[in-house]
Amino acid sequence: MNTKLTMPIIFLLMILTSSMAGCLSDFGGVEATYSPNSGSCDGAPVGHFDDGVLRILTYDINAISDEMITQFTNQSGYQVEIIRTEDAGGILEQMLQTKNAQQADLMLGLDNTYLQTAIDNCLLQYQNVSVSNISDNALSHHDGNFATPFDQGYVCINYDENYVDGENVTVPTSLWNLTEPQWNGKIAFPSPVTSSPGRSFMISTIDYFENDEDNTTDAFDWWSQMKQNGAILTSGWTEAYETHYTGGYGEWTDGHIGDAAMTISYCHSPGVEAYYSSNWTHSTSLMLPLTSFHQVEYAGIINGAANVDAANQFIEYLLSPEINTQMPEANLMYSVLDNTDLPETSGYRHHSDIPTQPCSISNQRISQEMDSWLAQWIVEVEF
Amino acid sequence: MNNLLSRNKYFNYFNIAISLSAVMAFAIISFAPLFFAIERLQMVTGQSVISSISTFADRPANMDALSFTIIEASVSALATVLIGLPIAWHLARGQWKHVRLVRALLAVPFVTPAIVAAMGFLALISKGGILWNFGIDLRLETGFIGALSDTFGWQHPGHFIALILAHAWFNLSLVIRFVEPPLATFDPRWEEQLSVLPGGNTRLNRLRNLWIPFIGPAVACAGMMAFLFSFTSFALVKWLTPFSQTMESSMANMGGAAGIEGYRLDASVVILSTSVIQFIILMLTLILITILQRRNNSRVSMISENIARHNRGKISKSGMLIISLGIIFTLAPMLSIFLSSFKIRSAIGNGQFTERYSFDAWMAAWQGDLSYVAASEAMANSLIYAIVTLMIALPLGWILSSTIHSLEKSNKMKLAKIVDVMSMLPLAISAVMVGLGILLGILRYNSNLFGFFLLPVLPHVMLTTPFVVRIMTPAMRAIDPVFEHQARLLNLNPVMCWWHGRLSFLRGPAVVAASLTLAFSLGEFGASWILVRSGSWDTLSILVDQLMSRPKFDPMVQPVAMATASMLMILTFILFFIAERFRPSGDGGGI
Repeated sequence: MNTKLTMPIIFLLMILTSSMAGCLSDFGGVEATYSPNSGSCDGAPVGHFDDGVLRILTYDINAISDEMITQFTNQSGYQVEIIRTEDAGGILEQMLQTKNAQQADLMLGLDNTYLQTAIDNCLLQYQNVSVSNISDNALSHHDGNFATPFDQGYVCINYDENYVDGENVTVPTSLWNLTEPQWNGKIAFPSPVTSSPGRSFMISTIDYFENDEDNTTDAFDWWSQMKQNGAILTSGWTEAYETHYTGGYGEWTDGHIGDAAMTISYCHSPGVEAYYSSNWTHSTSLMLPLTSFHQVEYAGIINGAANVDAANQFIEYLLSPEINTQMPEANLMYSVLDNTDLPETSGYRHHSDIPTQPCSISNQRISQEMDSWLAQWIVEVEF
Repeated sequence: MNNLLSRNKYFNYFNIAISLSAVMAFAIISFAPLFFAIERLQMVTGQSVISSISTFADRPANMDALSFTIIEASVSALATVLIGLPIAWHLARGQWKHVRLVRALLAVPFVTPAIVAAMGFLALISKGGILWNFGIDLRLETGFIGALSDTFGWQHPGHFIALILAHAWFNLSLVIRFVEPPLATFDPRWEEQLSVLPGGNTRLNRLRNLWIPFIGPAVACAGMMAFLFSFTSFALVKWLTPFSQTMESSMANMGGAAGIEGYRLDASVVILSTSVIQFIILMLTLILITILQRRNNSRVSMISENIARHNRGKISKSGMLIISLGIIFTLAPMLSIFLSSFKIRSAIGNGQFTERYSFDAWMAAWQGDLSYVAASEAMANSLIYAIVTLMIALPLGWILSSTIHSLEKSNKMKLAKIVDVMSMLPLAISAVMVGLGILLGILRYNSNLFGFFLLPVLPHVMLTTPFVVRIMTPAMRAIDPVFEHQARLLNLNPVMCWWHGRLSFLRGPAVVAASLTLAFSLGEFGASWILVRSGSWDTLSILVDQLMSRPKFDPMVQPVAMATASMLMILTFILFFIAERFRPSGDGGGI
């Protein structure tokens, strides 16, 4: 046999025989199923044994410090193991991947753009936690027993004041202003396909254009115009904010490009900038009605968890005033407890805006329509 | 005598059984995950492999990724040869005091973990970096790089140049390893004799009639290998060219969402079609490399390297300059990482910042102060994976090489070629494809394996075994059978014959193979990036990426990432330099 032919033959064999693999069935376990009549999920089989370790599935979250874990272990007796995905989408995907043998007990970090999909796919189970002082605002997107909010914030447009003042650019009063030449190539958007803030902002644009006075255009027309106007698209928040945005800390990091004067972040990001820069920032948020999204991050017990008791205890611990009031410093997000706010230290609170009219699309609608919105977005922006 | 014959017969049966088991084991671990992954993607997308090829072009982003990948890999290969060839030439053709040390220094990039290289180049080209201070702004693209963009309408030339330089840096040692040994042992009398003949009386004639036929195939082979590694580059692309995606990075970005029924069908379609197209291109490249390697085995008059060097005399000044520039090029990114790990920004009010230098980031990295796995823990994970990988890949690769060699000796050349090509095939399956293969192919069928601590060893074995085979097979071919024959004549038992007739000659290459296996496993990024996310066993490579991907409002985050990268770099170099001490002088090591 000629060497030239050997590899193609092996490849062809792989392709041809792969169709036979269809005869194989999953041998991992049985998936939990949703029962439309009762509206409940069957219990899913556990993918690991209860060995006294609480396994938390989360993204690269700052909220869980070593001190916090040690304190929980000392209080409860449970060891904690952290399984990290890249972002909130990664948490959902991992839970879907391991649906028939879940490897973690508790998920930490799915936000309200992903939560309903997790519930609809029977990935979460009822909790038995006793927490009473969560604010109504934090409970506004989900007040059932599948998930408990642990932090919150508003995703919104941030811009560099130096660009607006220096170039004598008018502060936008409508999203259509962003399609004008002075913003050409100056806005970095994290992709809604791969980024949680990107997804939140895309949902806001849908609400914004559904409620504007012009009924002939929708959000995807605007996205298409933004593409024409040189919008910079990134896979994640870090790349958009740090690599491209001129208003943030990015200029002090390796890899900074600084070609965008506007990006998508949180309305309190300027406050965080000030907090770490001795009460100074030239970044601010753009307060346009319906362009911000109230993002709530949740803790939920995974359907198929081996250590449900430890997971319940951890949620209560996370929602205790001692821990949850640290969220602004520990996780750079708002606490979900009543009567709490950002600290005044170094202008954190002063430079953080709270939108009066955020996006109002429901979790249920997000879950039902997200795939179609993403498909439309891809067509408008990638094609 | 009968007893000895019978003993030999059983030993041969034992050898055949071991060889068969190794070949089968390697075939299964290499192909089973991919086999199941293809099956799952076909099931989820409802497309066959063949139809997925036809849908590849439907998505413009796929075509962008394909064209960018081909262009960057081709230019990278060319740049690698252009930079590497003068260095290899001067390194081979002169008397050097510390030739082994220089050679080892120039080989360091190839074993440097990709994520470390990415961080090094990022630090090198960013504002305040070494290149930026020399007026070459490849990141912000100001100055003449910006002018280049304005004049030719070339989008982001600085980022592209940075990527090409990084790939050339990474693959530099391929050219040196391929070209320097034949040049260093080439008998200078040939050149002298040719220079008085009409066919070699000018430089151009000598180039045409001597050097191109002599080192041309080796240069082409190194270039094709550089193309292969640049084609599948992931960490460098991820960090250096934010506006462009290769096929590898596009698969990595969408991989997590693929293979799930009823969820993000677009991701499964992209992964299936992209992986098939990439596999075909890589396979064609490997076939070319195989053909070139065969041509590379040309027979020329060779003499001892020391004699050849002595005859040529001391290195010229221009040679010294080129080698010195090569060493500076090699060390600059590593030095940049090191410096960045000590540099911490501090706000002093009113928008003013200063930079202070301290060991704080190293302490924080070691203790894991930033809500992450401590570097000490990640290092332990990395070392465990590297050692277990070594314990499997080295014997497996050895047996595969031995099988190839035995088949060649028994004149079963076709069978030998099949095993040889099969052992190279994982090189045609990039690291991200291997990771996705395991994720979709095995884990989706048996989710319990998500919790298996040693899971990342599987892709590491798949990716390192081909290198072991590439090093050990030529070494085995080079052993004079007389030694084994003589050991038999001394009536030694088969084990002792093997010990004295083979093992003692293979110790050097085995150590080289072991060091490369350890280095590659320590630095492996693509497959681990896909797989380690499913567990809690971050390796140093993954930890660096996680830290760098994290918001850096806190000024400690970046220095901690750089300190972690420095630790990985130091660990890799220690292992590599220990192994280099065992490398016989002039040994190309098969790679």
